[in-house]
Amino acid sequence: MGFLTVLKKMKQKEKEMRILMLGLDNAGKTTILKRFNGEPINTISPTLGFNIKTLEHRGYKLNMWDVGGQKSLRSYWRNYFECTDGLIWVVDSADKRRLEDCKKELFVLLQEERLSGATLLIFANKQDLPGACSKEELRDILDLDSIKTHHWKIISCSAVTGENLLEGMDWIIDDIAARIFTLD
Amino acid sequence: MSVVRELRETIPNKGLIKGDSKVIRPEDVLKLTKISDAYLCEPDANIYEIDFTRFKIRDLESGAVLFEIAKPVHDNLKDGGDKTDNDEIVDHNSGRFVRYQFTPQFLKLKTVGATVEFTVGSKPVNGFRMIERHFFRDKLLKTFDFDFGFCLPFSRNTCEHIYEFPALPAQLVNEMTAHPFETRSDSFYFVDDCLIMHNKADYAYNGGTV
Repeated sequence: MGFLTVLKKMKQKEKEMRILMLGLDNAGKTTILKRFNGEPINTISPTLGFNIKTLEHRGYKLNMWDVGGQKSLRSYWRNYFECTDGLIWVVDSADKRRLEDCKKELFVLLQEERLSGATLLIFANKQDLPGACSKEELRDILDLDSIKTHHWKIISCSAVTGENLLEGMDWIIDDIAARIFTLD
Repeated sequence: MSVVRELRETIPNKGLIKGDSKVIRPEDVLKLTKISDAYLCEPDANIYEIDFTRFKIRDLESGAVLFEIAKPVHDNLKDGGDKTDNDEIVDHNSGRFVRYQFTPQFLKLKTVGATVEFTVGSKPVNGFRMIERHFFRDKLLKTFDFDFGFCLPFSRNTCEHIYEFPALPAQLVNEMTAHPFETRSDSFYFVDDCLIMHNKADYAYNGGTV
């Protein structure tokens, strides 16, 4: 039995997944986390650290980590890469001015070895705002088709209306489950 | 549901498991078969200035917040850290002990979310781990064991555990209701596997019936 098989079996026993949510500041990471877990979203302030939720969803134990996205905090992101099964990259689809910055930070992450096995979900957030880029536009602007190293998918959503949050979570969970919990 | 919070300073601040100078490790507290008689570390063991600033319990079914207590926002945070939702502050006390008083309905909840919020001082923290043990008398009801890992210097962090309330036998529920404050918990906090904080709580479920 190889090391990977042992690891798979350990995780399978607990059916535990670690999901890391990153993105530029003000992308809506905390709002997504709170909305997904049925909490009010009217008093959210910039995250200067992390917000964690542990919950059961569809028989899996999810550990969701939302780490602050301000520029001064990004150098600390690497402290949270270990054991990550899924990466959710949250984009403010209406913040066109910073999409270049957003793309640059995403591609830096994708080179990170400790994230190399992680499934990547891109949430095209803030679709409720006028002028928000569609997921097709973001796919071009962020050059997502050049990503060959990770399983990825872009889903448009709105943390404010809740649109597509569940769909996104279910996709990333299915993809992780297929990789980790399916033994040969 | 009502909650009474008070300080109880009668719990001795010594009495480590064996010998006063022993460093307490996670495996030591995981072996305990009942609530500890004393705090297992001194308050000044917390050299990282980790400060718990909010406790909250909510019912996921109804969305109702059943209990919330928060400390005022400190000014030692970086810019932009001001909370806008601190209107629910009810207590300025940073004691190591919390007393919860719930109505019997609390034990019938299905899914509960328990949030803690904490701030970290000027030093980054590596390997931060929480172990929380809930007992009724000598019966272990639940263990939380969670690795926060790294915490940023000057950070404000939250963690909510959302869990199915353990299905307790009716007899046990009756006992717990009939014997207030015999349900207790120990919260142990470790950095690099050394105990740096120990908080206690006790619980009554007879609120509104006395």
